[in-house]
Amino acid sequence: MLKPEDVLGAIAAARGDAICVPTMTTAPAWRTLAPDDLSVTCVGFMGGASALGLGLALACPDRRVVVFDGDGSLLMQLGSLATIAGARPRNLTHLVFKNGVYHTSGAQDIPGGLDVDFVVMAKGAGYRNAYAIKEPNDFTRRLPTMLTEEGPVLVELHTGLAEKTPMTDRGGLPFHRQAETLRTKLRGPRG
Amino acid sequence: MPESIPASLIIDTLKDTFREARAWLAAEVAAPPRHPHLGWILSVPDTHQRTVLAALDKEQAIRVLTCATEDEATTTAAGLWMGGEPCVLMIQHAGLYASVNTLRGVAIDGRVPVFYMIGLLSREKDKDPRESRHSMVRYCEPLLDTFGVPHARLEGPDDVHLIPEYFRLARERRGPTAVLVGLETI
Repeated sequence: MLKPEDVLGAIAAARGDAICVPTMTTAPAWRTLAPDDLSVTCVGFMGGASALGLGLALACPDRRVVVFDGDGSLLMQLGSLATIAGARPRNLTHLVFKNGVYHTSGAQDIPGGLDVDFVVMAKGAGYRNAYAIKEPNDFTRRLPTMLTEEGPVLVELHTGLAEKTPMTDRGGLPFHRQAETLRTKLRGPRG
Repeated sequence: MPESIPASLIIDTLKDTFREARAWLAAEVAAPPRHPHLGWILSVPDTHQRTVLAALDKEQAIRVLTCATEDEATTTAAGLWMGGEPCVLMIQHAGLYASVNTLRGVAIDGRVPVFYMIGLLSREKDKDPRESRHSMVRYCEPLLDTFGVPHARLEGPDDVHLIPEYFRLARERRGPTAVLVGLETI
Protein backbone atom coordinates (compact mmCIF):
# COMPACT_ATOMS: atom_id res chain seq x y z
CA MET A 1 0.00 0.00 0.00
CA LEU A 2 1.29 3.43 -0.95
CA LYS A 3 1.04 6.55 1.17
CA PRO A 4 -0.32 9.40 -0.97
CA GLU A 5 1.94 12.03 0.59
CA ASP A 6 5.03 9.91 -0.12
CA VAL A 7 3.97 9.42 -3.73
CA LEU A 8 3.42 13.13 -4.21
CA GLY A 9 6.71 13.99 -2.54
CA ALA A 10 8.60 11.69 -4.88
CA ILE A 11 6.83 13.16 -7.91
CA ALA A 12 7.57 16.70 -6.75
CA ALA A 13 11.25 15.82 -6.61
CA ALA A 14 11.33 14.09 -9.99
CA ARG A 15 8.88 15.98 -12.20
CA GLY A 16 11.20 18.63 -13.62
CA ASP A 17 9.11 21.16 -15.57
CA ALA A 18 6.04 18.94 -15.88
CA ILE A 19 2.60 20.49 -15.49
CA CYS A 20 0.70 18.77 -12.69
CA VAL A 21 -3.08 18.54 -12.29
CA PRO A 22 -4.13 17.46 -8.78
CA THR A 23 -7.71 17.02 -7.68
CA MET A 24 -9.61 16.27 -4.47
CA THR A 25 -7.43 14.64 -1.77
CA THR A 26 -4.15 15.17 -3.57
CA ALA A 27 -4.72 18.93 -3.63
CA PRO A 28 -3.88 19.90 -0.02
CA ALA A 29 -0.61 17.96 0.08
CA TRP A 30 0.41 19.17 -3.37
CA ARG A 31 -0.12 22.79 -2.34
CA THR A 32 2.47 22.29 0.37
CA LEU A 33 4.89 20.27 -1.72
CA ALA A 34 4.81 22.40 -4.85
CA PRO A 35 3.60 25.92 -4.15
CA ASP A 36 3.69 28.51 -6.90
CA ASP A 37 4.68 26.24 -9.73
CA LEU A 38 3.28 24.78 -12.96
CA SER A 39 0.18 23.22 -11.46
CA VAL A 40 -3.55 23.74 -11.72
CA THR A 41 -5.99 22.02 -9.39
CA CYS A 42 -9.24 20.62 -10.67
CA VAL A 43 -11.51 22.17 -8.08
CA GLY A 44 -15.19 23.00 -8.46
CA PHE A 45 -15.89 20.45 -11.18
CA MET A 46 -15.11 17.02 -9.76
CA GLY A 47 -14.20 14.51 -12.44
CA GLY A 48 -12.56 16.99 -14.77
CA ALA A 49 -8.88 16.39 -14.02
CA SER A 50 -8.28 13.96 -16.87
CA ALA A 51 -9.88 16.20 -19.51
CA LEU A 52 -8.09 19.26 -18.15
CA GLY A 53 -4.81 17.37 -18.39
CA LEU A 54 -5.65 16.33 -21.93
CA GLY A 55 -6.16 19.92 -23.04
CA LEU A 56 -2.87 20.96 -21.48
CA ALA A 57 -1.05 18.03 -23.03
CA LEU A 58 -2.38 18.83 -26.49
CA ALA A 59 -1.52 22.51 -26.14
CA CYS A 60 1.98 21.85 -24.77
CA PRO A 61 3.25 18.78 -26.64
CA ASP A 62 6.86 19.41 -25.61
CA ARG A 63 6.11 19.31 -21.90
CA ARG A 64 5.02 16.38 -19.70
CA VAL A 65 1.57 16.67 -18.11
CA VAL A 66 0.83 14.57 -15.03
CA VAL A 67 -2.75 14.17 -13.79
CA PHE A 68 -3.33 13.12 -10.16
CA ASP A 69 -6.80 11.68 -10.56
CA GLY A 70 -8.93 9.93 -7.98
CA ASP A 71 -10.84 6.70 -8.49
CA GLY A 72 -14.18 8.32 -7.61
CA SER A 73 -13.32 11.34 -9.70
CA LEU A 74 -12.40 9.32 -12.78
CA LEU A 75 -15.64 7.37 -12.52
CA MET A 76 -17.49 10.66 -12.98
CA GLN A 77 -16.00 11.10 -16.45
CA LEU A 78 -14.97 7.60 -17.35
CA GLY A 79 -15.50 8.32 -21.02
CA SER A 80 -12.42 10.52 -20.85
CA LEU A 81 -10.35 7.34 -21.06
CA ALA A 82 -11.58 6.83 -24.62
CA THR A 83 -11.26 10.51 -25.48
CA ILE A 84 -7.67 10.58 -24.23
CA ALA A 85 -6.81 7.35 -26.01
CA GLY A 86 -8.27 8.73 -29.23
CA ALA A 87 -6.27 11.95 -28.95
CA ARG A 88 -3.05 10.01 -28.26
CA PRO A 89 -1.14 12.64 -26.29
CA ARG A 90 2.39 11.25 -26.06
CA ASN A 91 3.20 13.50 -23.11
CA LEU A 92 0.34 12.58 -20.75
CA THR A 93 0.79 10.54 -17.58
CA HIS A 94 -2.53 9.77 -15.90
CA LEU A 95 -2.12 8.67 -12.30
CA VAL A 96 -5.16 7.29 -10.49
CA PHE A 97 -4.94 7.37 -6.71
CA LYS A 98 -7.07 4.36 -5.89
CA ASN A 99 -8.41 4.09 -2.35
CA GLY A 100 -11.88 2.73 -3.05
CA VAL A 101 -13.78 5.55 -1.37
CA TYR A 102 -14.99 9.10 -1.76
CA HIS A 103 -12.63 10.28 0.95
CA THR A 104 -13.56 13.95 0.84
CA SER A 105 -17.27 13.41 1.41
CA GLY A 106 -16.87 10.96 4.27
CA ALA A 107 -15.20 7.86 2.83
CA GLN A 108 -18.28 6.25 1.30
CA ASP A 109 -17.40 3.34 -1.00
CA ILE A 110 -17.15 4.18 -4.69
CA PRO A 111 -19.34 2.00 -6.94
CA GLY A 112 -17.53 -1.32 -7.15
CA GLY A 113 -15.08 -0.32 -4.44
CA LEU A 114 -11.56 -1.63 -4.84
CA ASP A 115 -12.67 -4.20 -7.41
CA VAL A 116 -12.86 -1.57 -10.14
CA ASP A 117 -9.92 -2.19 -12.47
CA PHE A 118 -8.81 1.03 -14.13
CA VAL A 119 -5.83 -0.70 -15.76
CA VAL A 120 -8.09 -2.99 -17.74
CA MET A 121 -10.34 -0.07 -18.65
CA ALA A 122 -7.46 2.12 -19.81
CA LYS A 123 -6.04 -0.67 -21.91
CA GLY A 124 -9.45 -1.39 -23.34
CA ALA A 125 -9.90 2.27 -24.20
CA GLY A 126 -6.60 2.30 -26.08
CA TYR A 127 -4.02 3.84 -23.75
CA ARG A 128 -0.51 3.08 -24.91
CA ASN A 129 0.33 1.61 -21.52
CA ALA A 130 -1.39 0.96 -18.20
CA TYR A 131 -0.30 -0.80 -15.06
CA ALA A 132 -0.89 -0.91 -11.30
CA ILE A 133 1.56 -0.22 -8.49
CA LYS A 134 0.94 -1.41 -4.96
CA GLU A 135 4.31 -1.29 -3.21
CA PRO A 136 6.52 1.71 -2.39
CA ASN A 137 9.65 0.07 -3.78
CA ASP A 138 7.93 -0.67 -7.06
CA PHE A 139 6.73 2.93 -7.27
CA THR A 140 10.22 4.30 -6.62
CA ARG A 141 11.69 2.02 -9.27
CA ARG A 142 9.15 2.88 -11.95
CA LEU A 143 8.69 6.59 -11.29
CA PRO A 144 11.34 7.84 -13.76
CA THR A 145 9.81 5.77 -16.53
CA MET A 146 6.22 6.81 -15.86
CA LEU A 147 7.25 10.47 -16.12
CA THR A 148 8.99 10.02 -19.44
CA GLU A 149 7.51 7.07 -21.30
CA GLU A 150 5.39 7.61 -24.37
CA GLY A 151 1.79 8.25 -23.41
CA PRO A 152 -0.95 8.16 -22.84
CA VAL A 153 -0.08 6.02 -19.86
CA LEU A 154 -2.32 5.28 -16.87
CA VAL A 155 -0.88 4.14 -13.57
CA GLU A 156 -3.26 2.85 -10.92
CA LEU A 157 -1.68 3.63 -7.56
CA HIS A 158 -3.05 1.58 -4.66
CA THR A 159 -2.99 4.04 -1.80
CA GLY A 160 -4.25 4.52 1.70
CA LEU A 161 -6.20 7.61 2.66
CA ALA A 162 -4.55 11.00 2.51
CA GLU A 163 -3.95 12.82 5.78
CA LYS A 164 -5.88 15.86 4.57
CA THR A 165 -8.84 16.42 2.31
CA PRO A 166 -10.21 19.60 0.72
CA MET A 167 -12.78 19.62 3.54
CA THR A 168 -10.32 19.32 6.42
CA ASP A 169 -7.72 21.59 4.87
CA ARG A 170 -9.43 24.31 2.93
CA GLY A 171 -7.39 26.87 1.10
CA GLY A 172 -5.47 27.43 -2.04
CA LEU A 173 -6.27 29.77 -4.87
CA PRO A 174 -9.63 29.48 -6.64
CA PHE A 175 -9.51 27.73 -9.97
CA HIS A 176 -9.79 30.89 -12.03
CA ARG A 177 -6.69 32.38 -10.44
CA GLN A 178 -4.74 29.16 -10.81
CA ALA A 179 -5.77 28.93 -14.46
CA GLU A 180 -4.76 32.50 -15.20
CA THR A 181 -1.45 32.07 -13.40
CA LEU A 182 -0.61 28.89 -15.27
CA ARG A 183 -1.59 30.44 -18.59
CA THR A 184 0.72 33.37 -17.90
CA LYS A 185 3.60 31.11 -16.98
CA LEU A 186 3.17 28.92 -20.03
CA ARG A 187 3.06 31.89 -22.37
CA GLY A 188 6.26 33.34 -20.92
CA PRO A 189 7.13 36.99 -20.53
CA ARG A 190 6.84 39.41 -23.40
CA GLY A 191 10.32 40.00 -24.81
CA MET B 1 -37.43 32.60 -42.24
CA PRO B 2 -34.18 30.91 -41.19
CA GLU B 3 -31.94 29.37 -43.82
CA SER B 4 -29.36 26.60 -43.72
CA ILE B 5 -25.71 27.66 -43.75
CA PRO B 6 -23.20 25.93 -46.05
CA ALA B 7 -20.48 24.02 -44.23
CA SER B 8 -17.79 25.66 -46.33
CA LEU B 9 -18.85 29.11 -45.17
CA ILE B 10 -18.71 28.08 -41.53
CA ILE B 11 -15.29 26.49 -41.96
CA ASP B 12 -13.86 29.54 -43.71
CA THR B 13 -15.23 31.69 -40.91
CA LEU B 14 -13.70 29.41 -38.29
CA LYS B 15 -10.33 29.65 -40.02
CA ASP B 16 -10.50 33.44 -39.98
CA THR B 17 -11.54 33.33 -36.34
CA PHE B 18 -8.59 31.16 -35.41
CA ARG B 19 -6.18 33.34 -37.40
CA GLU B 20 -7.37 36.34 -35.44
CA ALA B 21 -6.96 34.44 -32.16
CA ARG B 22 -3.40 33.49 -33.08
CA ALA B 23 -2.65 37.10 -33.93
CA TRP B 24 -3.82 38.17 -30.44
CA LEU B 25 -1.52 35.64 -28.86
CA ALA B 26 1.41 36.67 -31.02
CA ALA B 27 0.92 40.23 -29.86
CA GLU B 28 0.87 39.19 -26.21
CA VAL B 29 3.81 36.82 -25.83
CA ALA B 30 7.44 36.75 -26.76
CA ALA B 31 7.43 33.35 -28.36
CA PRO B 32 3.94 32.19 -29.33
CA PRO B 33 3.61 28.45 -29.87
CA ARG B 34 4.11 27.39 -33.46
CA HIS B 35 1.71 24.70 -34.54
CA PRO B 36 0.93 23.52 -38.05
CA HIS B 37 -2.80 23.96 -37.36
CA LEU B 38 -4.87 27.09 -36.80
CA GLY B 39 -7.05 25.83 -33.96
CA TRP B 40 -9.17 23.10 -32.50
CA ILE B 41 -12.75 21.93 -32.80
CA LEU B 42 -13.89 19.98 -29.76
CA SER B 43 -16.97 18.11 -30.73
CA VAL B 44 -19.54 15.79 -29.34
CA PRO B 45 -21.09 15.04 -32.70
CA ASP B 46 -24.20 17.04 -33.46
CA THR B 47 -26.70 15.98 -36.10
CA HIS B 48 -27.47 19.60 -36.85
CA GLN B 49 -23.86 20.44 -37.75
CA ARG B 50 -22.93 17.13 -39.33
CA THR B 51 -22.03 18.57 -42.74
CA VAL B 52 -19.51 20.84 -41.03
CA LEU B 53 -18.05 17.93 -39.08
CA ALA B 54 -17.84 15.86 -42.26
CA ALA B 55 -16.05 18.66 -44.11
CA LEU B 56 -13.69 19.19 -41.19
CA ASP B 57 -12.48 15.62 -41.60
CA LYS B 58 -10.77 16.77 -44.79
CA GLU B 59 -9.28 19.91 -43.26
CA GLN B 60 -5.60 19.95 -42.38
CA ALA B 61 -5.63 23.42 -40.85
CA ILE B 62 -8.15 22.64 -38.12
CA ARG B 63 -7.73 19.79 -35.68
CA VAL B 64 -10.85 18.02 -34.55
CA LEU B 65 -11.10 16.13 -31.30
CA THR B 66 -14.23 14.09 -30.70
CA CYS B 67 -15.04 13.93 -27.01
CA ALA B 68 -17.19 11.38 -25.24
CA THR B 69 -19.11 14.04 -23.32
CA GLU B 70 -19.65 17.79 -23.33
CA ASP B 71 -18.18 17.90 -19.81
CA GLU B 72 -14.90 16.67 -21.23
CA ALA B 73 -15.07 19.02 -24.19
CA THR B 74 -15.54 22.06 -21.95
CA THR B 75 -12.78 21.05 -19.56
CA THR B 76 -10.38 20.13 -22.36
CA ALA B 77 -11.06 23.56 -23.83
CA ALA B 78 -9.84 25.07 -20.56
CA GLY B 79 -6.58 23.16 -20.80
CA LEU B 80 -6.09 24.24 -24.39
CA TRP B 81 -6.77 27.86 -23.41
CA MET B 82 -4.17 27.75 -20.64
CA GLY B 83 -1.70 26.49 -23.21
CA GLY B 84 -2.57 29.26 -25.67
CA GLU B 85 -4.51 27.19 -28.17
CA PRO B 86 -7.74 28.55 -29.71
CA CYS B 87 -10.71 26.24 -29.84
CA VAL B 88 -14.42 26.09 -30.58
CA LEU B 89 -16.91 23.63 -29.11
CA MET B 90 -19.51 22.16 -31.44
CA ILE B 91 -22.27 20.47 -29.49
CA GLN B 92 -26.02 19.99 -29.35
CA HIS B 93 -28.53 21.62 -27.03
CA ALA B 94 -28.99 18.33 -25.17
CA GLY B 95 -25.25 18.30 -24.52
CA LEU B 96 -25.43 21.77 -23.06
CA TYR B 97 -28.06 20.55 -20.62
CA ALA B 98 -25.89 17.53 -19.77
CA SER B 99 -22.86 19.66 -18.95
CA VAL B 100 -24.31 22.54 -16.97
CA ASN B 101 -22.14 21.96 -13.90
CA THR B 102 -19.00 22.09 -16.01
CA LEU B 103 -20.25 25.21 -17.79
CA ARG B 104 -20.62 26.75 -14.33
CA GLY B 105 -17.42 25.43 -12.74
CA VAL B 106 -15.02 25.78 -15.65
CA ALA B 107 -16.28 28.47 -17.99
CA ILE B 108 -18.18 30.78 -15.62
CA ASP B 109 -16.50 30.46 -12.21
CA GLY B 110 -13.20 29.51 -13.83
CA ARG B 111 -13.41 32.55 -16.11
CA VAL B 112 -12.32 30.55 -19.14
CA PRO B 113 -13.37 31.88 -22.55
CA VAL B 114 -15.30 28.94 -23.96
CA PHE B 115 -17.12 29.54 -27.23
CA TYR B 116 -19.93 27.14 -28.09
CA MET B 117 -21.67 26.46 -31.38
CA ILE B 118 -24.87 24.74 -30.32
CA GLY B 119 -27.10 22.93 -32.79
CA LEU B 120 -30.84 23.32 -32.22
CA LEU B 121 -31.89 19.88 -33.40
CA SER B 122 -35.64 19.69 -34.10
CA ARG B 123 -36.03 23.46 -34.28
CA GLU B 124 -39.08 24.21 -36.42
CA LYS B 125 -38.39 26.49 -39.36
CA ASP B 126 -41.56 28.50 -38.86
CA LYS B 127 -41.33 28.95 -35.10
CA ASP B 128 -39.28 31.01 -32.75
CA PRO B 129 -37.09 28.56 -30.76
CA ARG B 130 -38.59 29.84 -27.50
CA GLU B 131 -41.98 28.72 -28.74
CA SER B 132 -40.90 25.34 -30.04
CA ARG B 133 -43.03 22.38 -29.15
CA HIS B 134 -39.79 20.52 -28.34
CA SER B 135 -38.50 21.21 -24.84
CA MET B 136 -34.89 20.62 -25.91
CA VAL B 137 -35.22 23.52 -28.35
CA ARG B 138 -37.38 25.71 -26.14
CA TYR B 139 -35.15 25.61 -23.05
CA CYS B 140 -31.84 26.42 -24.68
CA GLU B 141 -31.95 30.21 -24.71
CA PRO B 142 -33.61 30.49 -21.29
CA LEU B 143 -30.92 28.25 -19.82
CA LEU B 144 -28.17 30.40 -21.30
CA ASP B 145 -29.98 33.48 -19.99
CA THR B 146 -30.21 31.95 -16.52
CA PHE B 147 -26.46 31.46 -16.44
CA GLY B 148 -25.75 34.84 -17.97
CA VAL B 149 -24.15 33.40 -21.10
CA PRO B 150 -24.31 35.82 -24.05
CA HIS B 151 -25.74 34.13 -27.10
CA ALA B 152 -26.94 34.82 -30.64
CA ARG B 153 -28.79 32.93 -33.34
CA LEU B 154 -27.22 31.84 -36.60
CA GLU B 155 -30.33 32.04 -38.73
CA GLY B 156 -28.65 32.02 -42.12
CA PRO B 157 -25.47 32.73 -44.09
CA ASP B 158 -25.67 36.44 -43.32
CA ASP B 159 -25.19 35.67 -39.62
CA VAL B 160 -21.80 33.94 -39.76
CA HIS B 161 -20.12 37.19 -38.70
CA LEU B 162 -21.51 36.33 -35.25
CA ILE B 163 -19.00 33.49 -34.98
CA PRO B 164 -15.89 35.71 -34.68
CA GLU B 165 -17.89 38.31 -32.74
CA TYR B 166 -18.96 35.91 -30.02
CA PHE B 167 -15.58 34.16 -30.03
CA ARG B 168 -14.04 37.58 -29.40
CA LEU B 169 -16.64 38.37 -26.75
CA ALA B 170 -15.73 35.19 -24.84
CA ARG B 171 -12.13 36.34 -24.74
CA GLU B 172 -13.03 39.85 -23.70
CA ARG B 173 -15.42 38.86 -20.92
CA ARG B 174 -13.40 35.82 -19.83
CA GLY B 175 -16.30 33.45 -19.87
CA PRO B 176 -18.60 31.44 -22.07
CA THR B 177 -20.51 32.66 -25.10
CA ALA B 178 -22.60 30.76 -27.61
CA VAL B 179 -24.13 30.89 -31.05
CA LEU B 180 -27.13 28.74 -31.79
CA VAL B 181 -27.26 27.02 -35.15
CA GLY B 182 -30.89 27.37 -36.15
CA LEU B 183 -31.20 24.96 -39.05
CA GLU B 184 -29.18 21.98 -40.18
CA THR B 185 -26.05 23.05 -42.01
CA ILE B 186 -25.72 21.96 -45.63
